[in-house]
Amino acid sequence: MMRKSLLILIAVLLVLPFAVFATAEKEVTADKVVVYASVDEGNAKLILDAFTADTGITASFVHLSSGPALARITAEANNPQADVWMGAPSENHVLAKSQGLSVAYNSPSLSELEDAFKDAEGYWRSFYMNPMAFAVNTEALAKIGAPMPTSWDDLLKPVYKGHIQMPTPQASGTAYNIVSSLVVARGEDAAFQYMAKLNPNVQTYTSSGTGSSKGVAVGQCAIGIQFTPAFFKFIDEGYPLKVVFPKEGVGFEAPAVSIIKGAKNMEAAQILVDWLVSKEGQDVLSEVKTFFYPVNAKATLAMGMPQFSELKTIGVDVQWAGDNKKRLVERWVNEVLPAK
Amino acid sequence: MSDTWGRRSLRQLRQIANDPLLLIVILVILASLVLFIIYPLSKVIITSFLPDGKFSFSVFKEVFSSWYLRQAFYNSIMMGILTAVAGVGVGFVFAFTLARTDIPFKKFFHLIAIIPIISPPFIGALSIIMLFGNNGFISDHLLHLQNIKIYGFRGLLFAQVVTFFPVAYITLRGVLDSISPTLEDAALDLGGTRFKVFRRVTLPLALPGIASAMLILFVETLADFGNPLILAGSQFPILSVQAYLQITGMYDLPKGSALALILLVPSISVFFLQKYWVSRKKYVTITGKPTSSTLKSVSPIAKWILFAVCTFFALTIILIYAAILWGAFVKVWGFNNTFTLDHFKYVFSVGFGAVKDTLIIAGISTPIAGILGMVIAFLVVRKEFPLKHFMEVSSMLSFAVPGTVIGIGYVLAFNSHPLLLTGTLLILLLNFIFRYVPVGIQSGVAILRQVDPSIEEAAIDLGADSRSTFRRVTLPLMVPAFFSGLIFSFVRAMTAISAVIFLVSSNWNLMTVQIMSQVESGRLGAAAAFSVILVLIILAAILIIRAILTLKYGRFGGTTLKF
Repeated sequence: MMRKSLLILIAVLLVLPFAVFATAEKEVTADKVVVYASVDEGNAKLILDAFTADTGITASFVHLSSGPALARITAEANNPQADVWMGAPSENHVLAKSQGLSVAYNSPSLSELEDAFKDAEGYWRSFYMNPMAFAVNTEALAKIGAPMPTSWDDLLKPVYKGHIQMPTPQASGTAYNIVSSLVVARGEDAAFQYMAKLNPNVQTYTSSGTGSSKGVAVGQCAIGIQFTPAFFKFIDEGYPLKVVFPKEGVGFEAPAVSIIKGAKNMEAAQILVDWLVSKEGQDVLSEVKTFFYPVNAKATLAMGMPQFSELKTIGVDVQWAGDNKKRLVERWVNEVLPAK
Repeated sequence: MSDTWGRRSLRQLRQIANDPLLLIVILVILASLVLFIIYPLSKVIITSFLPDGKFSFSVFKEVFSSWYLRQAFYNSIMMGILTAVAGVGVGFVFAFTLARTDIPFKKFFHLIAIIPIISPPFIGALSIIMLFGNNGFISDHLLHLQNIKIYGFRGLLFAQVVTFFPVAYITLRGVLDSISPTLEDAALDLGGTRFKVFRRVTLPLALPGIASAMLILFVETLADFGNPLILAGSQFPILSVQAYLQITGMYDLPKGSALALILLVPSISVFFLQKYWVSRKKYVTITGKPTSSTLKSVSPIAKWILFAVCTFFALTIILIYAAILWGAFVKVWGFNNTFTLDHFKYVFSVGFGAVKDTLIIAGISTPIAGILGMVIAFLVVRKEFPLKHFMEVSSMLSFAVPGTVIGIGYVLAFNSHPLLLTGTLLILLLNFIFRYVPVGIQSGVAILRQVDPSIEEAAIDLGADSRSTFRRVTLPLMVPAFFSGLIFSFVRAMTAISAVIFLVSSNWNLMTVQIMSQVESGRLGAAAAFSVILVLIILAAILIIRAILTLKYGRFGGTTLKF
């Protein structure tokens, strides 16, 4: 037994380097496309299944959140494993462009989009958007006997102490959006004073951008702060949540799609990018209950979502936000976290 | 100094040259360790010292000047030590109770004590929140407690002890089972009190096992990131999470790598500390002479106290897993308790491919990792050859390195010709094999240190060569450790997340990555259903291996398994 297993072991270890050569180059075709999806797994599958049904192009995908996706695309730059990076807020795609990881694609679909939703040279286009909001667990709120918050300033009230969850900007683009939009709305120093005052009321800063929606859904906290899709999703699943858009206004994200430099299925990748921002692609967002806001005004909205135009939104310059991220996050760690 | 070293190496080489198979095995193992552990790690290390393409310490300066990251380092060390002490404490209580007393429901307690090693990422932590959080079933509905601090130090320590004590239990159970109770009986007969016998005989004999269990727990806690990711939060920073966040949140690969390197320092120091300590205290209790147990070394009062402690922990564990089942079979976890199979239907429509892939990958990589681990353990404990210490240290390295770093290292190292592996099955297999080889080595070394070399020497004196001595004498003694290690790495392969998140591809995906996706997108029911399937697959695998062993070796074979 020992001898046999040793021989097998040696055989396996010896064969490994040769197996490398067996991984032949992939053929270049327009009938399939490989996607890194930073849209969540379920929604990515629904969207790409609809794409396959519409175009006949097979789309295979791996779900990776924006950080791991970018890390992987960077590491794989010499030999890209995917053709398209779909999802992740546009600042990530700005980063991908500046690091030379994506390629420009100019087509009629680009000119139809508003300026906020595209790169002027066509390196990326946004294909949906999400506003920031609070979700309030009505049962948990009743239990602590607190009123429904309607503004960012309401959250400072002592009655919410230890009942708010939000993501940490160290980890999540969602939280950085909260920080950067507060800075835009209030000015940097005032925004940091506000967040420092909020700190005692925060139960925990979650590492995942969507962590707070789980906390608030199961009643671990009364108030969660993040982008809306997961909130609407939980309401659809039956959790006792209410979505509140604070009256001072909220930031929003506009997740985008880029074609990865060196894509092996370039033609199919371009078809996918055009399809995502077309009316057909945009209607799918509400048909399959992604609870994403379409960027194409002609597309229809899912049940229960207020019109995006009715919301008071705070625009954040993507370039500015990216350039100042490191500094603002460090300031957050040093000034907000120790605040009592 | 170098001259004697050189001469000794030469002498060892000459000895090995007489045994060509041994030589080949050593060479092949050394080469693969360099290629699949050292090389990817060095890629990461290089990255941390070359932030802008030039050699510089700037990244490390930045890290050490941040109070927050220093706090993270301190928290990690503290959490590692406390988990090691508390986890080994609980593990020892379980192991001692089950090995030395005749309490009822032994099999049941044994099963409960190993269940937590099957802990699907994130879901265990979520389940703890569902039970003990603000709106938790126990804390709120039963005890009516308000404002429990589940996030941060206490919640995390609780989760870590529950998750990792089974590792200590398995190690210590193996050790206690192999300490002959006749030694204790003899001490009692000589007039020692029960406590004195425990303190002067049982405990010292178990010390090497306790030390190695503590090492494992300390290192595992240090590298773990699933529980802290959910339960630690920003106010209680943990180094492994910070390393992950630097890479995936701030896109700062050099800083993340630097943090990972800092994490390596305590891991490796503890490793050497343990090696030095254990190697000085060497006990041989398997001597080839027959032993029989009378189980009288524990007083009845002590027995029932131990029984109560075990029952308390068993109930906690049952609750945690019951909460997962509850989440998988009801419409809305915690709010709508209507029975439904929808989550399972969803899992089978969306994720069946991942179930299949996971089984293939874990099924292939685990036996290879197990055999490799045993062979390395044997070579390291029983053979003398040049680069032996290099083999021992490098094969243990991947165990101490956070998965995130291994994952990134593999992508950096194996994404260009001639070693173009990204996107393939092979990269996942290699990652698992070399990541879980230390598990086999640990259990192999622990058992070999307990086996008197004179048994092997006797075989050699009787004319057996080293190969048949290994096959006929050493290997059968190693069988329990081998299969325990095998199952342990199978479980780890099935539940790993941090490294593979960088290695899965559209062709090969894993269930844990699916669970993470479902948790992220808010389908908690589906995530719970995935976890239930994962646990069932692992339990089935354990039962199958047990059955095969029983068939092959009779009753003895089945019971050699620590599972």
